[in-house]
Amino acid sequence: MPVIELIDYTLKPEGAGNGLTEFSFSLFSGDGYSIETDSIDDAALFLKALVTLASPRKGTYCFNEMKIDLSDYRNALPCKQRIGYIASDAALISNRTVRENLLFMRYFHEDSLLLTLDDHTADLCRKFDIFDKLERRPGELHPQDIKNTITIRELSKHPDVLVLERPEDFIDHTKFRIFMEAVRAMTQRNLPVVFYSSDADFTKSFSNKKLTISKGRLTSFS
Amino acid sequence: MNQLAGHIGRRTLAAVDHLPNLLAFIYSILKLIFHRPATGRAMLKKFTLEQIFFTAYQALYVIIPVALLIGSMLIIQFAKVSTQYDLGKIMVLLIVREIGPIVTALIVILRTATAVSIEIGYMQVFHEIEAIEMAGIDPLRLLCLPRLMGITAAILCLLVIFNLVAVIGGYLIVWIFTYIPIKNLFGQIEAAITFTDILVGNIKALLFGFSITVICLYHGFKPNMKITGIPAQTSKVAVECFFSCLVIDVIISVLFYL
Repeated sequence: MPVIELIDYTLKPEGAGNGLTEFSFSLFSGDGYSIETDSIDDAALFLKALVTLASPRKGTYCFNEMKIDLSDYRNALPCKQRIGYIASDAALISNRTVRENLLFMRYFHEDSLLLTLDDHTADLCRKFDIFDKLERRPGELHPQDIKNTITIRELSKHPDVLVLERPEDFIDHTKFRIFMEAVRAMTQRNLPVVFYSSDADFTKSFSNKKLTISKGRLTSFS
Repeated sequence: MNQLAGHIGRRTLAAVDHLPNLLAFIYSILKLIFHRPATGRAMLKKFTLEQIFFTAYQALYVIIPVALLIGSMLIIQFAKVSTQYDLGKIMVLLIVREIGPIVTALIVILRTATAVSIEIGYMQVFHEIEAIEMAGIDPLRLLCLPRLMGITAAILCLLVIFNLVAVIGGYLIVWIFTYIPIKNLFGQIEAAITFTDILVGNIKALLFGFSITVICLYHGFKPNMKITGIPAQTSKVAVECFFSCLVIDVIISVLFYL
Protein backbone atom coordinates (compact mmCIF):
# COMPACT_ATOMS: atom_id res chain seq x y z
CA MET A 1 0.00 0.00 0.00
CA PRO A 2 1.55 3.36 -1.01
CA VAL A 3 2.00 5.91 1.74
CA ILE A 4 1.82 8.79 -0.75
CA GLU A 5 0.49 8.60 -4.26
CA LEU A 6 0.43 11.42 -6.79
CA ILE A 7 -1.68 10.52 -9.82
CA ASP A 8 -1.57 12.45 -13.12
CA TYR A 9 -0.09 15.43 -11.35
CA THR A 10 0.77 18.70 -13.06
CA LEU A 11 2.53 21.46 -11.14
CA LYS A 12 2.93 25.01 -12.36
CA PRO A 13 6.50 26.37 -12.42
CA GLU A 14 8.00 28.19 -9.45
CA GLY A 15 11.11 30.36 -9.59
CA ALA A 16 13.33 29.48 -12.55
CA GLY A 17 11.93 25.95 -12.88
CA ASN A 18 9.89 24.38 -15.66
CA GLY A 19 7.13 23.00 -13.46
CA LEU A 20 6.21 19.32 -13.72
CA THR A 21 3.78 17.89 -16.24
CA GLU A 22 1.55 14.83 -16.09
CA PHE A 23 3.44 12.51 -13.79
CA SER A 24 2.45 9.82 -11.35
CA PHE A 25 4.44 8.78 -8.33
CA SER A 26 3.96 6.22 -5.58
CA LEU A 27 5.92 6.06 -2.36
CA PHE A 28 5.89 2.82 -0.37
CA SER A 29 7.20 1.91 3.07
CA GLY A 30 10.95 1.31 2.93
CA ASP A 31 11.45 3.42 -0.20
CA GLY A 32 14.42 5.76 -0.24
CA TYR A 33 14.13 8.05 -3.26
CA SER A 34 16.97 10.33 -4.22
CA ILE A 35 16.30 13.02 -6.81
CA GLU A 36 18.53 13.91 -9.73
CA THR A 37 17.55 17.04 -11.55
CA ASP A 38 18.55 19.74 -14.01
CA SER A 39 16.56 22.29 -12.01
CA ILE A 40 16.80 22.78 -8.24
CA ASP A 41 13.50 24.69 -8.34
CA ASP A 42 11.69 21.72 -9.89
CA ALA A 43 13.13 19.36 -7.26
CA ALA A 44 12.00 21.75 -4.50
CA LEU A 45 8.59 22.03 -6.15
CA PHE A 46 8.21 18.25 -6.27
CA LEU A 47 9.12 17.98 -2.58
CA LYS A 48 6.61 20.73 -1.75
CA ALA A 49 3.96 18.86 -3.71
CA LEU A 50 4.72 15.70 -1.72
CA VAL A 51 4.06 17.53 1.54
CA THR A 52 0.99 19.26 0.01
CA LEU A 53 2.51 22.74 0.29
CA ALA A 54 2.22 23.09 -3.49
CA SER A 55 -1.18 22.48 -5.02
CA PRO A 56 -1.39 20.85 -8.44
CA ARG A 57 -2.96 22.36 -11.52
CA LYS A 58 -4.53 18.96 -11.94
CA GLY A 59 -4.10 15.53 -10.45
CA THR A 60 -5.01 13.45 -7.43
CA TYR A 61 -3.18 13.25 -4.10
CA CYS A 62 -3.60 10.15 -1.94
CA PHE A 63 -2.23 9.64 1.55
CA ASN A 64 -2.37 6.11 2.97
CA GLU A 65 -4.76 5.26 0.11
CA MET A 66 -7.12 8.05 1.05
CA LYS A 67 -7.85 10.61 -1.65
CA ILE A 68 -7.30 14.13 -0.36
CA ASP A 69 -9.27 17.01 -1.84
CA LEU A 70 -6.66 19.75 -2.00
CA SER A 71 -9.14 22.46 -3.03
CA ASP A 72 -9.57 23.10 0.72
CA TYR A 73 -6.21 23.39 2.53
CA ARG A 74 -7.77 22.04 5.73
CA ASN A 75 -8.20 18.59 4.19
CA ALA A 76 -4.43 18.25 3.86
CA LEU A 77 -3.64 19.16 7.48
CA PRO A 78 -3.80 15.58 8.84
CA CYS A 79 -1.34 14.51 6.09
CA LYS A 80 1.03 17.39 6.76
CA GLN A 81 1.07 16.46 10.43
CA ARG A 82 2.47 13.04 9.49
CA ILE A 83 5.22 14.22 7.16
CA GLY A 84 8.64 15.34 8.35
CA TYR A 85 9.80 18.18 6.09
CA ILE A 86 13.31 19.55 6.33
CA ALA A 87 13.87 22.12 3.61
CA SER A 88 15.17 25.62 3.00
CA ASP A 89 11.68 27.10 3.46
CA ALA A 90 10.95 25.33 6.75
CA ALA A 91 10.65 27.80 9.64
CA LEU A 92 10.15 28.20 13.36
CA ILE A 93 7.40 30.35 14.84
CA SER A 94 9.30 33.44 15.81
CA ASN A 95 7.27 34.67 18.76
CA ARG A 96 7.48 31.33 20.61
CA THR A 97 10.43 29.88 22.50
CA VAL A 98 12.40 26.90 21.18
CA ARG A 99 10.65 24.66 23.74
CA GLU A 100 7.22 25.90 22.63
CA ASN A 101 8.19 25.37 19.00
CA LEU A 102 9.24 21.80 19.72
CA LEU A 103 6.03 21.12 21.65
CA PHE A 104 3.76 23.18 19.42
CA MET A 105 2.07 20.26 17.66
CA ARG A 106 1.56 18.32 20.88
CA TYR A 107 0.27 21.38 22.75
CA PHE A 108 -2.44 21.71 20.15
CA HIS A 109 -3.40 18.10 19.46
CA GLU A 110 -3.11 16.88 23.06
CA ASP A 111 -4.86 20.06 24.25
CA SER A 112 -2.54 20.74 27.15
CA LEU A 113 0.13 23.34 27.83
CA LEU A 114 1.66 21.33 30.66
CA LEU A 115 3.56 18.91 28.42
CA THR A 116 7.28 18.31 28.65
CA LEU A 117 9.77 17.18 26.01
CA ASP A 118 9.84 13.42 25.61
CA ASP A 119 13.13 11.55 26.10
CA HIS A 120 13.80 11.18 22.37
CA THR A 121 13.37 14.94 21.72
CA ALA A 122 15.39 15.90 24.79
CA ASP A 123 18.15 13.55 23.63
CA LEU A 124 18.17 15.15 20.16
CA CYS A 125 18.29 18.61 21.78
CA ARG A 126 21.39 17.58 23.74
CA LYS A 127 23.05 16.09 20.67
CA PHE A 128 22.33 19.22 18.58
CA ASP A 129 23.42 21.57 21.43
CA ILE A 130 19.98 23.13 21.77
CA PHE A 131 19.12 21.96 25.28
CA ASP A 132 20.47 25.07 27.03
CA LYS A 133 18.66 27.34 24.54
CA LEU A 134 15.16 25.97 25.04
CA GLU A 135 13.80 29.14 26.64
CA ARG A 136 15.13 31.45 23.92
CA ARG A 137 13.14 32.72 20.98
CA PRO A 138 14.32 32.10 17.41
CA GLY A 139 15.38 35.74 17.05
CA GLU A 140 17.95 35.22 19.82
CA LEU A 141 19.46 32.14 18.19
CA HIS A 142 22.24 31.66 15.68
CA PRO A 143 20.76 30.76 12.24
CA GLN A 144 22.33 27.31 12.50
CA ASP A 145 20.60 26.71 15.84
CA ILE A 146 17.30 27.60 14.17
CA LYS A 147 17.94 24.98 11.49
CA ASN A 148 18.95 22.44 14.13
CA THR A 149 15.72 23.14 16.01
CA ILE A 150 13.67 22.64 12.85
CA THR A 151 15.50 19.35 12.27
CA ILE A 152 14.74 18.18 15.81
CA ARG A 153 11.09 19.24 15.49
CA GLU A 154 10.62 17.30 12.26
CA LEU A 155 12.48 14.20 13.42
CA SER A 156 10.63 14.10 16.72
CA LYS A 157 7.15 14.32 15.25
CA HIS A 158 7.24 10.59 14.48
CA PRO A 159 6.47 11.06 10.78
CA ASP A 160 5.17 8.47 8.32
CA VAL A 161 7.36 9.99 5.59
CA LEU A 162 10.52 12.07 5.65
CA VAL A 163 11.09 14.67 2.91
CA LEU A 164 14.50 16.34 2.79
CA GLU A 165 15.82 19.12 0.60
CA ARG A 166 19.62 19.36 0.52
CA PRO A 167 20.11 18.24 4.14
CA GLU A 168 23.89 18.78 3.82
CA ASP A 169 23.23 22.53 3.39
CA PHE A 170 20.58 22.66 6.08
CA ILE A 171 22.37 20.82 8.84
CA ASP A 172 25.63 21.94 10.38
CA HIS A 173 28.43 19.67 9.10
CA THR A 174 29.55 18.96 12.68
CA LYS A 175 26.08 17.56 13.41
CA PHE A 176 25.50 15.88 10.07
CA ARG A 177 26.61 12.48 11.31
CA ILE A 178 24.18 12.72 14.24
CA PHE A 179 21.45 13.60 11.77
CA MET A 180 22.36 10.65 9.56
CA GLU A 181 22.23 8.31 12.54
CA ALA A 182 18.77 9.61 13.49
CA VAL A 183 17.51 9.16 9.91
CA ARG A 184 19.10 5.70 9.71
CA ALA A 185 17.28 4.65 12.88
CA MET A 186 14.03 5.78 11.28
CA THR A 187 14.63 4.16 7.89
CA GLN A 188 15.48 0.88 9.60
CA ARG A 189 11.86 0.92 10.76
CA ASN A 190 10.88 1.16 7.04
CA LEU A 191 10.16 4.89 7.08
CA PRO A 192 10.08 6.07 3.46
CA VAL A 193 12.41 8.94 2.58
CA VAL A 194 12.45 11.25 -0.42
CA PHE A 195 15.35 13.64 -0.73
CA TYR A 196 17.34 15.86 -2.98
CA SER A 197 21.00 15.87 -1.99
CA SER A 198 24.36 16.41 -3.58
CA ASP A 199 26.13 14.59 -0.75
CA ALA A 200 27.28 11.29 -2.25
CA ASP A 201 27.63 9.60 1.13
CA PHE A 202 24.12 10.57 2.19
CA THR A 203 22.64 9.48 -1.15
CA LYS A 204 24.48 6.15 -0.99
CA SER A 205 23.28 5.56 2.57
CA PHE A 206 19.58 6.25 2.08
CA SER A 207 18.73 5.82 -1.58
CA ASN A 208 17.40 2.57 -2.95
CA LYS A 209 15.43 4.21 -5.79
CA LYS A 210 16.05 7.14 -8.05
CA LEU A 211 13.88 9.95 -9.39
CA THR A 212 14.96 12.01 -12.35
CA ILE A 213 13.48 15.40 -13.07
CA SER A 214 14.51 16.80 -16.42
CA LYS A 215 12.86 19.56 -18.44
CA GLY A 216 9.65 19.29 -16.45
CA ARG A 217 9.42 15.49 -16.77
CA LEU A 218 9.67 13.14 -13.82
CA THR A 219 10.88 9.57 -14.19
CA SER A 220 11.43 7.05 -11.42
CA PHE A 221 13.83 4.08 -11.41
CA SER A 222 14.18 1.21 -8.98
CA MET B 1 -0.41 53.35 -23.33
CA ASN B 2 -0.90 49.60 -23.07
CA GLN B 3 0.96 49.61 -19.78
CA LEU B 4 -1.29 52.34 -18.42
CA ALA B 5 -4.42 50.48 -19.53
CA GLY B 6 -3.04 47.30 -17.96
CA HIS B 7 -2.28 49.12 -14.71
CA ILE B 8 -5.76 50.65 -14.55
CA GLY B 9 -7.31 47.28 -15.39
CA ARG B 10 -5.37 45.46 -12.67
CA ARG B 11 -6.20 48.13 -10.07
CA THR B 12 -9.88 48.00 -11.04
CA LEU B 13 -10.01 44.21 -10.83
CA ALA B 14 -8.27 44.30 -7.46
CA ALA B 15 -10.74 46.89 -6.17
CA VAL B 16 -13.71 44.88 -7.46
CA ASP B 17 -12.32 41.68 -5.90
CA HIS B 18 -11.65 43.32 -2.55
CA LEU B 19 -15.17 43.31 -1.14
CA PRO B 20 -16.16 39.73 -2.12
CA ASN B 21 -12.80 38.46 -0.86
CA LEU B 22 -13.24 40.31 2.41
CA LEU B 23 -16.77 38.93 2.80
CA ALA B 24 -15.51 35.40 2.09
CA PHE B 25 -12.82 35.90 4.74
CA ILE B 26 -15.43 37.15 7.24
CA TYR B 27 -17.56 34.09 6.46
CA SER B 28 -14.67 31.71 7.10
CA ILE B 29 -13.89 33.45 10.41
CA LEU B 30 -17.53 33.36 11.50
CA LYS B 31 -17.59 29.65 10.69
CA LEU B 32 -14.59 29.17 12.99
CA ILE B 33 -16.47 30.74 15.90
CA PHE B 34 -19.28 28.20 15.66
CA HIS B 35 -17.08 25.23 14.78
CA ARG B 36 -15.61 24.00 18.07
CA PRO B 37 -13.28 21.01 17.74
CA ALA B 38 -12.03 19.35 20.91
CA THR B 39 -8.34 19.97 20.24
CA GLY B 40 -6.34 23.14 20.68
CA ARG B 41 -8.58 24.84 23.22
CA ALA B 42 -5.82 25.35 25.78
CA MET B 43 -3.64 26.97 23.15
CA LEU B 44 -6.44 29.19 21.86
CA LYS B 45 -7.22 30.29 25.41
CA LYS B 46 -3.56 31.18 25.99
CA PHE B 47 -3.29 33.09 22.72
CA THR B 48 -6.53 34.97 23.47
CA LEU B 49 -5.25 36.01 26.90
CA GLU B 50 -1.96 37.13 25.36
CA GLN B 51 -3.90 39.24 22.86
CA ILE B 52 -6.01 40.83 25.61
CA PHE B 53 -2.84 41.53 27.59
CA PHE B 54 -1.22 43.22 24.60
CA THR B 55 -4.28 45.10 23.36
CA ALA B 56 -5.92 46.11 26.65
CA TYR B 57 -3.44 45.99 29.54
CA GLN B 58 -0.42 47.33 27.65
CA ALA B 59 -2.58 50.09 26.11
CA LEU B 60 -3.58 51.48 29.51
CA TYR B 61 -0.58 53.82 29.61
CA VAL B 62 -1.89 55.38 26.38
CA ILE B 63 -5.62 55.35 26.94
CA ILE B 64 -5.60 56.79 30.48
CA PRO B 65 -3.69 60.01 29.66
CA VAL B 66 -5.65 60.43 26.43
CA ALA B 67 -8.96 60.01 28.28
CA LEU B 68 -7.84 62.45 31.00
CA LEU B 69 -6.81 65.06 28.46
CA ILE B 70 -9.96 64.74 26.38
CA GLY B 71 -12.25 64.61 29.42
CA SER B 72 -10.75 67.68 31.10
CA MET B 73 -10.56 69.67 27.84
CA LEU B 74 -14.23 69.00 27.12
CA ILE B 75 -15.28 69.97 30.64
CA ILE B 76 -13.21 73.17 30.51
CA GLN B 77 -14.53 74.19 27.09
CA PHE B 78 -18.19 73.37 27.64
CA ALA B 79 -18.35 74.63 31.24
CA LYS B 80 -17.89 78.11 29.80
CA VAL B 81 -20.56 77.92 27.13
CA SER B 82 -23.29 75.78 28.68
CA THR B 83 -25.53 75.67 31.69
CA GLN B 84 -24.83 73.15 34.46
CA TYR B 85 -27.49 70.74 33.23
CA ASP B 86 -26.15 70.90 29.66
CA LEU B 87 -22.63 70.04 30.76
CA GLY B 88 -23.67 66.59 32.01
CA LYS B 89 -25.70 66.01 28.91
CA ILE B 90 -22.85 67.12 26.65
CA MET B 91 -20.44 64.77 28.42
CA VAL B 92 -22.81 61.86 27.79
CA LEU B 93 -23.44 62.92 24.21
CA LEU B 94 -19.83 63.41 23.31
CA ILE B 95 -17.79 61.03 25.44
CA VAL B 96 -20.06 58.04 26.02
CA ARG B 97 -21.78 58.06 22.66
CA GLU B 98 -19.17 59.29 20.18
CA ILE B 99 -15.66 60.19 21.30
CA GLY B 100 -15.18 57.22 23.65
CA PRO B 101 -15.75 54.47 21.08
CA ILE B 102 -13.91 56.27 18.26
CA VAL B 103 -10.82 57.25 20.29
CA THR B 104 -10.63 53.73 21.78
CA ALA B 105 -10.83 52.25 18.29
CA LEU B 106 -8.18 54.68 17.05
CA ILE B 107 -5.77 53.68 19.81
CA VAL B 108 -6.37 49.99 19.11
CA ILE B 109 -5.81 50.59 15.38
CA LEU B 110 -2.55 52.44 16.02
CA ARG B 111 -1.18 49.93 18.50
CA THR B 112 -2.74 46.57 17.68
CA ALA B 113 -4.13 46.47 14.15
CA THR B 114 -0.84 47.60 12.63
CA ALA B 115 1.12 45.19 14.84
CA VAL B 116 -1.12 42.23 13.99
CA SER B 117 -1.01 43.04 10.29
CA ILE B 118 2.80 43.21 10.33
CA GLU B 119 3.06 40.05 12.44
CA ILE B 120 0.86 37.99 10.13
CA GLY B 121 2.55 39.46 7.06
CA TYR B 122 5.96 38.42 8.39
CA MET B 123 4.65 34.99 9.31
CA GLN B 124 3.44 34.63 5.75
CA VAL B 125 6.69 35.84 4.15
CA PHE B 126 8.94 33.73 6.39
CA HIS B 127 6.87 30.55 5.96
CA GLU B 128 5.78 30.45 9.61
CA ILE B 129 2.18 29.90 8.55
CA GLU B 130 3.35 26.88 6.57
CA ALA B 131 5.16 25.68 9.70
CA ILE B 132 1.84 25.84 11.57
CA GLU B 133 0.16 23.90 8.77
CA MET B 134 2.94 21.29 8.85
CA ALA B 135 2.00 20.69 12.48
CA GLY B 136 -1.48 19.77 11.28
CA ILE B 137 -2.98 22.95 12.71
CA ASP B 138 -5.35 25.24 10.84
CA PRO B 139 -3.54 28.61 10.87
CA LEU B 140 -6.80 30.47 10.41
CA ARG B 141 -8.16 28.96 13.62
CA LEU B 142 -4.96 29.37 15.59
CA LEU B 143 -4.14 32.92 14.51
CA CYS B 144 -7.51 34.51 13.74
CA LEU B 145 -9.80 33.25 16.47
CA PRO B 146 -7.70 34.36 19.49
CA ARG B 147 -7.08 37.74 17.86
CA LEU B 148 -10.75 38.22 17.08
CA MET B 149 -11.84 37.34 20.62
CA GLY B 150 -8.92 39.13 22.25
CA ILE B 151 -9.14 42.40 20.35
CA THR B 152 -12.93 42.60 20.61
CA ALA B 153 -12.89 41.92 24.37
CA ALA B 154 -10.01 44.39 24.79
CA ILE B 155 -11.85 47.21 22.96
CA LEU B 156 -14.88 46.63 25.17
CA CYS B 157 -12.75 46.87 28.34
CA LEU B 158 -10.82 49.88 27.05
CA LEU B 159 -14.05 51.68 26.19
CA VAL B 160 -15.34 51.31 29.75
CA ILE B 161 -11.99 52.54 31.11
CA PHE B 162 -11.88 55.45 28.66
CA ASN B 163 -15.39 56.62 29.59
CA LEU B 164 -14.78 56.36 33.33
CA VAL B 165 -11.38 58.06 33.20
CA ALA B 166 -12.58 60.80 30.84
CA VAL B 167 -15.55 61.68 33.04
CA ILE B 168 -14.20 61.08 36.56
CA GLY B 169 -10.58 61.98 35.82
CA GLY B 170 -11.54 64.96 33.72
CA TYR B 171 -13.78 66.22 36.53
CA LEU B 172 -10.99 65.76 39.09
CA ILE B 173 -8.42 67.58 36.95
CA VAL B 174 -10.77 70.52 36.43
CA TRP B 175 -11.72 70.52 40.13
CA ILE B 176 -8.09 70.45 41.30
CA PHE B 177 -6.48 72.82 38.82
CA THR B 178 -9.19 75.37 37.90
CA TYR B 179 -11.86 77.53 39.52
CA ILE B 180 -14.53 76.60 36.99
CA PRO B 181 -17.76 75.92 38.92
CA ILE B 182 -19.04 72.44 37.98
CA LYS B 183 -21.36 71.42 40.76
CA ASN B 184 -22.96 68.02 40.77
CA LEU B 185 -21.53 66.91 37.40
CA PHE B 186 -22.07 63.23 38.19
CA GLY B 187 -25.71 63.89 39.11
CA GLN B 188 -26.21 65.60 35.78
CA ILE B 189 -24.54 62.74 33.91
CA GLU B 190 -26.71 60.25 35.82
CA ALA B 191 -29.80 62.19 34.76
CA ALA B 192 -28.69 62.43 31.16
CA ILE B 193 -27.39 58.90 30.52
CA THR B 194 -29.78 56.20 29.38
CA PHE B 195 -29.54 52.43 28.95
CA THR B 196 -29.43 53.00 25.19
CA ASP B 197 -26.24 55.06 25.54
CA ILE B 198 -24.45 52.21 27.31
CA LEU B 199 -25.86 49.62 24.90
CA VAL B 200 -24.85 51.65 21.85
CA GLY B 201 -21.31 52.14 23.21
CA ASN B 202 -20.97 48.39 23.70
CA ILE B 203 -22.40 47.57 20.27
CA LYS B 204 -19.99 50.01 18.67
CA ALA B 205 -17.05 48.53 20.57
CA LEU B 206 -18.01 45.00 19.50
CA LEU B 207 -18.40 45.96 15.86
CA PHE B 208 -15.19 48.02 15.89
CA GLY B 209 -13.31 45.08 17.38
CA PHE B 210 -14.69 42.73 14.77
CA SER B 211 -14.02 45.02 11.82
CA ILE B 212 -10.51 46.00 12.96
CA THR B 213 -9.50 42.36 13.49
CA VAL B 214 -10.98 41.13 10.25
CA ILE B 215 -9.36 43.88 8.19
CA CYS B 216 -5.88 43.47 9.64
CA LEU B 217 -6.01 39.67 9.39
CA TYR B 218 -7.40 39.80 5.86
CA HIS B 219 -4.50 41.94 4.70
CA GLY B 220 -2.00 39.86 6.66
CA PHE B 221 -3.21 36.63 5.06
CA LYS B 222 -3.20 37.98 1.51
CA PRO B 223 -1.45 35.44 -0.71
CA ASN B 224 1.89 36.09 -2.44
CA MET B 225 2.91 38.63 0.16
CA LYS B 226 6.41 40.07 -0.31
CA ILE B 227 8.54 41.58 2.45
CA THR B 228 8.58 44.91 0.62
CA GLY B 229 4.78 44.94 0.55
CA ILE B 230 4.40 44.87 4.34
CA PRO B 231 4.87 48.63 5.05
CA ALA B 232 2.39 49.63 2.34
CA GLN B 233 -0.04 47.00 3.57
CA THR B 234 0.25 48.26 7.15
CA SER B 235 -0.62 51.82 6.21
CA LYS B 236 -3.54 50.49 4.14
CA VAL B 237 -4.75 48.50 7.17
CA ALA B 238 -4.65 51.57 9.43
CA VAL B 239 -6.63 53.71 6.99
CA GLU B 240 -9.14 50.98 6.16
CA CYS B 241 -9.72 50.13 9.83
CA PHE B 242 -10.28 53.75 10.78
CA PHE B 243 -12.59 54.38 7.85
CA SER B 244 -14.63 51.24 8.60
CA CYS B 245 -14.96 52.30 12.26
CA LEU B 246 -16.23 55.74 11.21
CA VAL B 247 -18.79 54.17 8.86
CA ILE B 248 -19.96 51.76 11.58
CA ASP B 249 -20.11 54.64 14.07
CA VAL B 250 -22.33 56.71 11.78
CA ILE B 251 -24.62 53.78 10.95
CA ILE B 252 -25.11 52.83 14.63
CA SER B 253 -25.69 56.44 15.67
CA VAL B 254 -28.24 56.93 12.90
CA LEU B 255 -30.00 53.65 13.78
CA PHE B 256 -30.32 54.46 17.48
CA TYR B 257 -30.58 58.21 17.71
CA LEU B 258 -32.22 59.48 14.54
